[in-house]
Amino acid sequence: MIITMQDTETREISAKIDELHEERGEAALGRVLTLLISTNEASLEHDLEVANSASREHPCRVIAIAPSARKVEAGDSAEGEHHTFLDAEVRFGSDAGAGEIIVLRPRGGLVHHADTLVIPLLVPDAPVVAWWPNEAPANLSKDLLGSMARSRITDAMNSSNPMRTMNDLRRNWSSKNVDMSWTRLTVWRAMLASMLDQPPHLPVSSVRVTGPKDFLPMDLLAAWLRLRLNVPVIVEDDPGANAVTGVYLTRADGVLSLERPSTGDGVAMQSVPGQSPQTISVPTRTIEECLSEELGRLYPDEIYAEVVTQGWDLINPQH
Amino acid sequence: MANRGLLPPSFGLTGFARRDWTEDHFKEFVKENVEAHCRTPFKDSTWKQLADGIRFVQGTFDDPKAFERLSDTVAELDRDRGTRGNHAFYMSVPPRAFPQVSRQLADCGLAKSTEGAWRRVIIEKPFGHDLASAKELDRVVSEVFDPSSVFRIDHYLGKETVQNMLALRFANAMYEPIWNSNYVDHVQITMAEDIGVAGRAGYYDGIGAARDVIQNHLLQLMALTAMEEPVSFSAADLTAEKTKVLSAVRLPKDLAAHTARGQYAAGWQGSHEVVGYLDEKGIDPASITETYAAIRLDVDTRRWAGVPFYLRTGKRLGKRVTEIAVVFKRAPHLPFESTATKELGKNAIVIRVQPDEGVTMRFGSKVPGGTSMEVRDVSMDFGYGRSFTESSPEAYERLILDVLLGDPPLFPTTREVELSWQILDPIEEFWSTLGQPQPYRSGTWGPEEAVEMLARDGHRWRMP
Repeated sequence: MIITMQDTETREISAKIDELHEERGEAALGRVLTLLISTNEASLEHDLEVANSASREHPCRVIAIAPSARKVEAGDSAEGEHHTFLDAEVRFGSDAGAGEIIVLRPRGGLVHHADTLVIPLLVPDAPVVAWWPNEAPANLSKDLLGSMARSRITDAMNSSNPMRTMNDLRRNWSSKNVDMSWTRLTVWRAMLASMLDQPPHLPVSSVRVTGPKDFLPMDLLAAWLRLRLNVPVIVEDDPGANAVTGVYLTRADGVLSLERPSTGDGVAMQSVPGQSPQTISVPTRTIEECLSEELGRLYPDEIYAEVVTQGWDLINPQH
Repeated sequence: MANRGLLPPSFGLTGFARRDWTEDHFKEFVKENVEAHCRTPFKDSTWKQLADGIRFVQGTFDDPKAFERLSDTVAELDRDRGTRGNHAFYMSVPPRAFPQVSRQLADCGLAKSTEGAWRRVIIEKPFGHDLASAKELDRVVSEVFDPSSVFRIDHYLGKETVQNMLALRFANAMYEPIWNSNYVDHVQITMAEDIGVAGRAGYYDGIGAARDVIQNHLLQLMALTAMEEPVSFSAADLTAEKTKVLSAVRLPKDLAAHTARGQYAAGWQGSHEVVGYLDEKGIDPASITETYAAIRLDVDTRRWAGVPFYLRTGKRLGKRVTEIAVVFKRAPHLPFESTATKELGKNAIVIRVQPDEGVTMRFGSKVPGGTSMEVRDVSMDFGYGRSFTESSPEAYERLILDVLLGDPPLFPTTREVELSWQILDPIEEFWSTLGQPQPYRSGTWGPEEAVEMLARDGHRWRMP
């Protein structure tokens, strides 16, 4: 169910939601968190789909803010009026995953006061998570929405300039921030860690990582390995790749490797000296999985913190 | 009320006002409002019956003739409708008009009841602006009316959820055993409004948030939260317990550290740009009246020793909400890894007075799945609207009915009002020595000062 509200107010939106809850016999307080999405009209539907899917695991109230592009007809109102208005949508039921979605389309001065716009709509007492699916503000802690959130999720790879976004994020780093390019690595990290968990526990002497050029997750993976293993890490371009294609760990007994040449079939090959190679299914992580993972863990990710504040510079001294 | 058969057939309503209205004007005005706000379908037959008892007297407070006309009108109702000399006066008048109106009512013989009939007077807040003025007001009213027939209306006490506090605490076995300083960490009582002073500028400036709300509503809510179990729910027993608690309230020694005040500044709220308090129409641009007030109170009893009660109220805050939150101490030992309980807050019972009336319990629960034990806060919820589909009566409905029945348990007594002023007066006195209250942006949850005030005690305001 999608209810469209033009020229509305936050008070009306709250009333509408309460009314719908009552009608449908639901309790708003079952929501475990409020997810704020700061996005734009073009990306909105896709972002909401992702949020819906994540909300099945973490029932939440989604509030998406996408500045309005609605043109006010000259004849509609007196000159100068209606430069500032709020359009909204409330989505329930099959249109909203396990929770409800509020889409806010502010225009004019409201765009610059996003915090007081969403405050009346937050789920009482529940943590607030902010997500920037594409462009992120340079300093999340100073951002009006960001400063309200307990956890701030960005996706630098989806921004117009991933490297610059990452540098901004690193410069204004806060323990509440996390970038999805890190979340995308969780499976790789888990598999690498479990490979090294097996005996013999010989020291690793060097590492090679292959993947596309200027690929954020690869840089983060390299930084993590550099920091944790404290050995040289070589980052190698693999032309034509669209994700990390391989990690090679050199030890006295040979090379341990984890390779996924193509993301298409999602099959990886794990080779350990003295054993026949094994294939494992490692499909590319979907954005839904990444968001869900971040919503499941709302406390600071200490390893990510070390990687972006220390490891990154060891790998990318030029940045 | 008439539709539900709660009013006697002889019920009459007489309006007295300065405006130049005829009886038909007044009837039309009442009808419009009944139609707009009644909870049961509007029935013409009920209305007709009710309208027959509606009168209007035009006049000013200083005109003895007008009061004579009032007296005659009421006498006519007594005779023709059978109200039998039972009269309740609902005084919706500014406090300064009280002495005059009481005097006029006395002079025209309306104030004293005849044999076998009652006279009751309902007065609205403010009940004075400090202890001295409250006593003076009381003196004036009791000169004319019998003290037992004075009903001070505090509409919060008429709300179902407030009365449900008594049911929650005293009809159940689960809560009362932990309702004490062994388990309770602190209590937060909040009444937030999202509107500004609007049309009340003239009254509000110089009065401020604490006198307007804390002195009456919040202290009453606190008394109901903290009081011992009354022997019965009769007015005398209930009042005895509330009075005990109010008389055991202790103010913080360092008022600067444990109180906070603020004044709303311009901002954007509910999709509009709104002006700051000092720019509101009718407000002195140099006013130091607070629109946000937060105070810490302690109750010196065995039950509450060491449990702070935080009371806060304000205008132009995040949203309109009134609630009482009883926040519990952490479990003495957590047999989990520290990461497991990182997101676990303190348990709480929240009584939502308005809107969305109900009770919420917050406690920790394991996050499903995963290999690790993770505990996160969840809510269990009781909502009036869902468990009882009958809509709750308006607070005034209940209170006016109580007045007609002469049943006063939900009305604060003179003693309670005086105790409340005794609590607030030293704070107001201290505040009056300070300068401008700290500004807060409209639509946010109040000034930084209030956040710091709780942080000093190691607490945080809840987000209602």
